[in-house]
Amino acid sequence: MTAEPLRTGDGTALRVETQPSLPGLGGLYARGAAASGRIAAGRALPGLPVIGAGRSPSDTDHDGGPLTLPDVAYRVAGVSTAGLGRHLHEYQRLLHEPVSDVLPAGYLHVLAFPLATAVMVRGDFPLPLLGMVHLHNAVELRGPVRLGDALEVRAWAENLRPHRRGVQVDLVAEIRRDGGDPAERPVWRGVSTYLAKGFSLPDAPAADDEPRAEWHLPLPTGRWALGPGTGRAYGAVSGDRNPIHLSALSAKAFGFPRAIAHGMYTAARALADVGHQRGDAYRWTVEFAKPVLLPGTVDLAVTQEEDGFEYVGWNGRRRQKHFSGTVTPL
Amino acid sequence: MATRQKTSAPAAGGAAAQPQTVRDAVVVGGNRIPFSRAGKKYADASNQEMFTAALEGLVARFGLQGERLGEVVGGAVLKHSRDFNLIRESVLGSSLSPATPAFDLQQACATGLEATINVANKIRLGQIESGVAGGSDTVSDAPIAVSEGLRRALLEAQHAKTWQARAKALAALRPGDLKPLTPATDEPRTGLSMGEHQAITTARWGIAREAQDEIALASHQHLAAAWDAGFFDDLVTPFRGLTRDDNLRADTSIEKLASLKPVFGRSLETPPTMTAGNSTPLTDGASTVLLGSREWAESHDLPVLARFVDAETAAVDFVHGHEGLLMAPVHAVPRLLARNGLTLDDIDFFEIHEAFASTVLTTLAAWEDVDYGKNELGLSGAFGTVDRAKINVNGSSLAAGHPFAATGGRIVATAAKLVAQRAAETGRPARALISVCAAGGLGATAVVESV
Repeated sequence: MTAEPLRTGDGTALRVETQPSLPGLGGLYARGAAASGRIAAGRALPGLPVIGAGRSPSDTDHDGGPLTLPDVAYRVAGVSTAGLGRHLHEYQRLLHEPVSDVLPAGYLHVLAFPLATAVMVRGDFPLPLLGMVHLHNAVELRGPVRLGDALEVRAWAENLRPHRRGVQVDLVAEIRRDGGDPAERPVWRGVSTYLAKGFSLPDAPAADDEPRAEWHLPLPTGRWALGPGTGRAYGAVSGDRNPIHLSALSAKAFGFPRAIAHGMYTAARALADVGHQRGDAYRWTVEFAKPVLLPGTVDLAVTQEEDGFEYVGWNGRRRQKHFSGTVTPL
Repeated sequence: MATRQKTSAPAAGGAAAQPQTVRDAVVVGGNRIPFSRAGKKYADASNQEMFTAALEGLVARFGLQGERLGEVVGGAVLKHSRDFNLIRESVLGSSLSPATPAFDLQQACATGLEATINVANKIRLGQIESGVAGGSDTVSDAPIAVSEGLRRALLEAQHAKTWQARAKALAALRPGDLKPLTPATDEPRTGLSMGEHQAITTARWGIAREAQDEIALASHQHLAAAWDAGFFDDLVTPFRGLTRDDNLRADTSIEKLASLKPVFGRSLETPPTMTAGNSTPLTDGASTVLLGSREWAESHDLPVLARFVDAETAAVDFVHGHEGLLMAPVHAVPRLLARNGLTLDDIDFFEIHEAFASTVLTTLAAWEDVDYGKNELGLSGAFGTVDRAKINVNGSSLAAGHPFAATGGRIVATAAKLVAQRAAETGRPARALISVCAAGGLGATAVVESV
């Protein structure tokens, strides 16, 4: 099952474990919930190893380190997109993308997301899946991926680092054309950065407190009226049925007053709003701020800059920023 | 080149057809029904009933019973799919000859003016001798569509071959799918209503609330004066017991207008300025205009109000806010006037459709702006200044109301009568410029001139 090693951004070598197929997300959430419970219990009970709680680096080393990320990358080859037409078109209609046989970058995220989630629900993944906060996301699409293309997907976690409210980690996913040169740049690469609140790293330098820049409301170029079922609809298409998105009741269990929109739904709609000017190859980033409560109205401003587009979404009544990002043609 | 080769080389394919020359199209007159605020007098009147009423009034006024006209062109913006032949069905329900062809067209709020441009062009090219242009719209009797989920399920069930497949298609329905979709005036690409779009344009141009209220007040005062002076006596036929536009508030005042709460642009950083008083209300109504060649009008012993000189449409890139949604006419007018060797000073009447009071003001501000003239209009400086006393002298949509497709016909008839009156008074030719903004970043403009 082990193939050639893979190196992360900071040079760590990872074993590549080839999986027979992309996992289903439903089962992963069940496992994720169980693992989250185990980790929470671990933090609450004295005497059990507690992540980073005032321990010295040597202690950590001695224990084998609950702070270390799994040294494994998952790989699935031969992922066929031939039968995804109906699903792709449902996604495109929901996200206001033009209906076509070209897979938008957000759709490729949906495709790769289960494999990245599988990494996060591993027993040796040190942070709880449920309750993690999606901070930002950066995607590079190098060229058009079309319905019918066979793909290879890889996913791993890297770059565990401090954040002022906990620790953050990057989940990296890459998509290549199947049978292509593995040394070649992937056609799609996504980096999703998550925050686990309340955790800390030993001897971590204090994370920079980001200075809060004064923000002036721009003139909107669009407005989304998001119905109460927005999270359920994106959950059905993306498979991401995290309870915080599905209903007010299930969201309350996680401390939200109402269901919240998927961050990637809002980012993907902003990407769609940019339109055909983004081209076939683009870099797409998003930084999430206040979550979008459902039902709700989001004001959006997409502005053309010299090298691409900037976008920002906010609540016009509360004057709170929900997200901002860029779409830059490559 | 190709044309000349054809005519000078008969050996290639026999004699060429006679070349066509462009001739004048003239406005004979117009007829509309009074416009009514949504949900009032015309609450149960359909587009076809209203358009037929306006058309029948026109037929009666000009004695066209049994006449075969060249074409009747019009449309409705909020249109039911069963009304695919709205105008033809209205013709069949009128006393015009059933041999009168007709077709529907639609260009949002510019529908009526675009219909006039079509009929005028056919006349100018000699394809027809006479025609009627117009439009109808009802918000009260608007079509209501089923949700996308219900629509898809019903279609799938209809296409299903077995009852099991049919049941499966219908089982996919969710309670939310049963909620009907009412037509919205939101721009499909931005999700912003027209009012919100204009609020953004208003903020960008820094248009004050007081200036907007003054435009609204003038519109009501001018329209009331025109009604009192009998200007509309030969332009309107009563319908359903209504004899005047019922949105008209002859007794409104600047104080009353100033007391209204803003309704658009409330989530912008700048204070909101657009109220129900300085924005057009949703309205029901229909209008028609009769056009013909000079020869046709003469042979039918009909009056001629004006010549339909030329027209220009434009569209702007509003989706990411480069330009305001309703600013397309600002671009069309300089091109239209330049092509006809005219300047703003050559215009006696400016009929600028008051979608909102601020639409008029942002239009004027843009024309007066040097940078805008250079960068957006491609001119050497500002396009120019319009004498306020020449704008909407007999009122416009703020007072009359704005049944989307019916507005063009109302304005063309008003403009044609205004230039005819002015020319009769002064003995000199008079011109009117018509400017209508529309959803989708569209705009249509035209010039009419006394004969």
